Amino acid sequence: MKTALSTLALLFAATVVAAAPPEHYLHVKVDGKNTKELVRVNMPLSLIEKIIPAINQNQFHNGRIEVGDFHTNDVDLRAILNAVSSAPDGEFVTVQKPDCNIRVAKENGQMIVHIINKEDGEKADVTVPLAVAQALASAANDHQFNVEAAIEALDRAGERTLVTVTDNDETVRVWIDSQNTSE
Amino acid sequence: MLLFGKIGLGFMGTILVGGAVVSSEGFIHVKVHEKQTNGTHLSFVVPAMIMPLAVRFVPRHDLRDASANMQQYMPVIDAAISGLADCADGTLVEVVDSDTHVTVVKSGGSIVVDADDQGETVHVAVPLRATKATLDEIAAANGPS
Repeated sequence: MKTALSTLALLFAATVVAAAPPEHYLHVKVDGKNTKELVRVNMPLSLIEKIIPAINQNQFHNGRIEVGDFHTNDVDLRAILNAVSSAPDGEFVTVQKPDCNIRVAKENGQMIVHIINKEDGEKADVTVPLAVAQALASAANDHQFNVEAAIEALDRAGERTLVTVTDNDETVRVWIDSQNTSE
Repeated sequence: MLLFGKIGLGFMGTILVGGAVVSSEGFIHVKVHEKQTNGTHLSFVVPAMIMPLAVRFVPRHDLRDASANMQQYMPVIDAAISGLADCADGTLVEVVDSDTHVTVVKSGGSIVVDADDQGETVHVAVPLRATKATLDEIAAANGPS
């Protein structure tokens, strides 16, 4: 009887531990190559999720930010996002010029923007999960971005690199993982 | 002799319980070390529960402006302190340049700020619960006196 109870307790504990989702952290790392400057920010997404709805200042209210009308010039951002979401993976835009290359693609449910500025050696990679973009555009009216929903979607999207910018002076990286320290 | 023993036990018990109550909110630790010769070396540790109590003794009219300015930020401050209390320990912010190193760390129930530059080293550790209680006291100072 005792053994059975111990086994059940152990199973219950294991289930609770397994069911608890890992805490995700938003990391920002700015590394100055020549200046020896280094900035590291490691913010738990749960902390950001609690703070965002509490901000009621200027254009920011209830987790939403007023951005004006994003139907501007008859372009419906939500319709575009829906169309991109349902489109198959592939390269949408490729620009190759003497001074820069730009590539916009959809891969595995995320938008990828890759920019190389050949003049100053700057490289930028931006990866946005489509679920995050859709959450951002999910506010009740066309004048807002739903930042709260976007952060929640980012938390669900799991570990990934969001932004990498490299130039001659510094490297900037923004990513999500479950480590509470930068690598 | 037995009576002295009982009095001593009661005295020790009171000190122990009093100490436990005073330290229940944690401690504020401030340490400043100026690196120049004959610079200031300051280090003090005080029970954090003194912070909100001390604010209660500040005349309300002296806190009124601070309180009025804080009101609009209180929801964000409450959310931030509650969120920080719930999240795991770790370094939240670290800034390094050629002569300065600053870290903001969540450690236990406290926020610990360490700053080290050419001139001085500063270490401040403040328990979150006491910080919230203190800010609540300041924010309440704008009410009817």
